[in-house]
Amino acid sequence: MKAILDSINYRIPKSMRSLMGILVVLFVITGFVDHYFFSFDSIGNTLQIAAPLAIFGAGQTIVMLTGGIDLSLAMTATGAIYLISVKSSSGLLVAITWAVLFCLIIGAINGIAIGIFKVNPLIMTLSMSTVLIGFFSVGISTFLKGSSHVPDVFVTLSSGYIFGPVLSWPLVVWFIVATLVLFLLTRTGLGRLIYSIGDNATAVRLAGVKVWKVQLASYILCSLFAGIGGVILGGQSGAVSIDLATSLLLPTVAAVVIGGTSIMGGMGTYTGTIMGALILAVISYLLSALNTSEALKQIIYGTIVLSLAWTYARISTNVRRH
Amino acid sequence: MMNQLRLRERSWTLGITALFLILGIWRSQQLPHFGSYEIKTIILGAVPIALLAMGQSLIIIGGGINLAIGAEALLINCLTAKFMNHTSFVHSLLIGILGLACSVLVGAITGWVISISGIADIVVTLATSFVIVGLAMVIFPIPGGGANIHFAHLVTGGGKSFVFPLFAIMVPYLVIWVPLYRSRTGISIFAIGSNKDAAFLSGVDVTRTRIKLYAFGGLFAGLSGIALTCVTLSGSAIITIANAATLYSVAASVLGGIALAGGVGGLFGPILASFVIYFIPTIMLGYGIDPAYSQIIQGALTILVVLAGGWLRLRAKRSK
Repeated sequence: MKAILDSINYRIPKSMRSLMGILVVLFVITGFVDHYFFSFDSIGNTLQIAAPLAIFGAGQTIVMLTGGIDLSLAMTATGAIYLISVKSSSGLLVAITWAVLFCLIIGAINGIAIGIFKVNPLIMTLSMSTVLIGFFSVGISTFLKGSSHVPDVFVTLSSGYIFGPVLSWPLVVWFIVATLVLFLLTRTGLGRLIYSIGDNATAVRLAGVKVWKVQLASYILCSLFAGIGGVILGGQSGAVSIDLATSLLLPTVAAVVIGGTSIMGGMGTYTGTIMGALILAVISYLLSALNTSEALKQIIYGTIVLSLAWTYARISTNVRRH
Repeated sequence: MMNQLRLRERSWTLGITALFLILGIWRSQQLPHFGSYEIKTIILGAVPIALLAMGQSLIIIGGGINLAIGAEALLINCLTAKFMNHTSFVHSLLIGILGLACSVLVGAITGWVISISGIADIVVTLATSFVIVGLAMVIFPIPGGGANIHFAHLVTGGGKSFVFPLFAIMVPYLVIWVPLYRSRTGISIFAIGSNKDAAFLSGVDVTRTRIKLYAFGGLFAGLSGIALTCVTLSGSAIITIANAATLYSVAASVLGGIALAGGVGGLFGPILASFVIYFIPTIMLGYGIDPAYSQIIQGALTILVVLAGGWLRLRAKRSK
């Protein structure tokens, strides 16, 4: 018995165990507040809520590991599903091509500006988000006029069930994304470079790596994941609007940070982000079960995010003081 | 080196002044009549952004960033709009002072949390922005409210004169920023902004300076909130307003020549930049263009400005 416990202790780092602990505690509390929560329906529901958050989190984790941040992610996601809905009248393949191209272009612009022209990532992506909001607000009434209805294929993909009330299509998408990201970060050269430029970009550059190429790849990947998350999110709500993903932007950053990825880069895992997304999904279920006002919900949400990040900073030892 | 830095700062201020003048003249040409009243309208439109930009710039100079600054302004806006409604001048004035005290306190708490938790500024202020907007919604669920009209005239001025609105910007600049810039605290702020560890080793109390820094940021945010109450005579706790205000404040700081790395800059550039940000949608609206286009231009302009800044830095490094 002790040997098993020891091997668990050895395999799972302390911070991850505490995240699991937090998740279990929140899970039990939610179960006590709302007895209905301990059912397959509710758990399936919560997982569905967590899916887009975790997929956005995949992109955000990659970018944050390089020491950057992507605040244009929500608008990229909205743009992708928007293009799919509008262009779906001329064929599904055309629509998907449009969306993929859009994500590639946005990611490339972000990556080039940040990697080559050394624009601060926060300012770059914040401005990109502003530009996209303007672009799509103008577009709705002019060159992007058309259906705001999400094609049925994507509605199924983002809310349809495969087996029973738990295993749904978005979970499959999430699983594929998670496998890809975990493989990328832990088993490939690009993954190593993503970690290392977040840790010390100068050293990596002096070692002969073209840092801008790694940054470009990271931002493009982030935009693509944003697009996938946007499709899931749009499918879940059935119709697209310009502020579809806006409310998920800050929770995305929160999920990554709660999951233990350092905003300075170089430290963190996607597994942590998954835990962060699950924790946030349970919290949002709990808050809606408590039937509180929108105002109180925001206060509690903010406080919990802050205290979780704080707890995490306490647990992980290498925190710089002052 | 120092002279080069000064020179670059000065050329930046010249550039933003030129942009301000061009847009100002453009706008004045649009109006059928351009006099004191029109100048007053322009300044009033820019006052809340300018005050908020001053707060954000100060915090960026000190090496931080506050993504909750718009929320802080919104909170004070709601607070004052609620309690100043149907009151006497003195009563309104007292509530105004109380509101400022609140925003300073909120700022100080933010700075304290950032210091002792060791979490990045962005994350902390992201979380506090939720909390603060929530508080504003609890205090003031339904848009409305007002203020004593004589108190509001402190910012807007009763008649056609543009002197009072100009005071609303210049008095905080001269009374808060100029003395702060020359004080010990000011030097500490610049020091922790340019190199925290070096500042710590030279005997600067980093924690205390950062608390003061965020408190001053809160003070400007509070002033911005009160100015908003005086200009609009109402308040509304809507999260998009807070986020848009934060965005404007960051954009104005960057346009105004504040280096995001911290430790460099002054507050005059951001004030002019706030006017530029106000002018862009106003001028476009004057031509009957959808104001949504102005968001595209504003975002693109910010990116271009940061690009230009990076390019100048690169050239300065090469010529050294």
